[in-house]
Amino acid sequence: MSAPAKPTADYAGKPLPEVQIITNRLLSAETTEKLLNALDVIPDIRQINMTGESLPKMINSGPGKGHENNHTERRVIHVGGQEVELRYLVGGFYIELDVEDEEILEARLDQIKAACNEHIEHGYSLQVGRYSKYRPTLHDYRSA
Amino acid sequence: MAYKRQFYPGESIPAKNRKRYMDPKVKLKKLRDVSQDDVVRIMGHRNPGEDYKSIHPPIEEGKEPDCPIRKLVTPIEGAKHGDRVRYIQFTDSVYFAPISPYQRAWMYLSRYRGIDTGTLSGRQIIEVRERDLERMAKEMIDNETFDPALTGIRGATVHGHACRLDENGLMFDGWQRYVWDAQKKEVVYVKDQVAIPLDRRISVGKPASMSDLKKRTTIFRADGVDMRDDKEVTEYGLRIHKLRTLGGYQPWKVKGE
Repeated sequence: MSAPAKPTADYAGKPLPEVQIITNRLLSAETTEKLLNALDVIPDIRQINMTGESLPKMINSGPGKGHENNHTERRVIHVGGQEVELRYLVGGFYIELDVEDEEILEARLDQIKAACNEHIEHGYSLQVGRYSKYRPTLHDYRSA
Repeated sequence: MAYKRQFYPGESIPAKNRKRYMDPKVKLKKLRDVSQDDVVRIMGHRNPGEDYKSIHPPIEEGKEPDCPIRKLVTPIEGAKHGDRVRYIQFTDSVYFAPISPYQRAWMYLSRYRGIDTGTLSGRQIIEVRERDLERMAKEMIDNETFDPALTGIRGATVHGHACRLDENGLMFDGWQRYVWDAQKKEVVYVKDQVAIPLDRRISVGKPASMSDLKKRTTIFRADGVDMRDDKEVTEYGLRIHKLRTLGGYQPWKVKGE
């Protein structure tokens, strides 16, 4: 039996604080792009995960099956000079912060809130906690 | 003893709206006028101007078997002509859409003849003979039970009724059958109900304001009118629950209830 492959996810190995932002409305690609660029300049952000409602590429059922979906919000956005293929109408962000000091955490939170207040028009809720796992588990070694 | 039909209990706004939508004597307000041809385009069953396809010869040709029930029932127009049965399906957002699927079923059955309707959590399908369907569909799109932003015409993949709205206040649709026209402030259909692109953009008008929708809705919500605040509705729900439970497990106790 061969040795298990290294997990693809990049875990910190310790429970760093994670900021959960749930928006009151689903954000357009344009707003998502602006918000991500505003977050991108904030230091100590280890990673940002996003969730939302899936936008399929093709019509996948019914008489229109096989047609291109051509959803205007499913497109490539530019974040920090990189291209990101957006496949969701985004409604949630999980921002992992690489900080261990309460004061720095507060400072980063203020910066994140300022970015959100500027770009999220219809409001959001923000919480700090730990919402995803931070070290590999058996699930990471399962076969496809 | 003859009872007068009461439709629904309660005096709260959603309860009164439920009564209004169900009562066939109430003429529902017409809020917009989408042309009959455009309704046909959105449904996508036939092209405007095309003949109706039939599945049996017209009833007037007299080839019907001798049946007392057939003599008793007056056929609807589509049945007379032998039309196909086609459908339209509406999705209603939980964010104070003017009506919700279950009340659609009550309304349809109370107002129309010759229909078959089915309720699911977020959508309501209605199946009727084609020419009658087209007439009914236009009524339903034009009247107050439809809101351009919070009611979707979706034949398949209806997901979205319980999702958050988008930035323009439109109910989520992964297939984007309708888009927001920022200049006219209107909702425009660009795909038919099964997401096949339309040849032309069809406007269904401006969405209603949230304050207006809260007056029109049939939906009880904790952040609107809570169902528990309407005493009669709560009692009616509890009574049905009690009778059904007793009927199922201790039917002898139903006596006198």
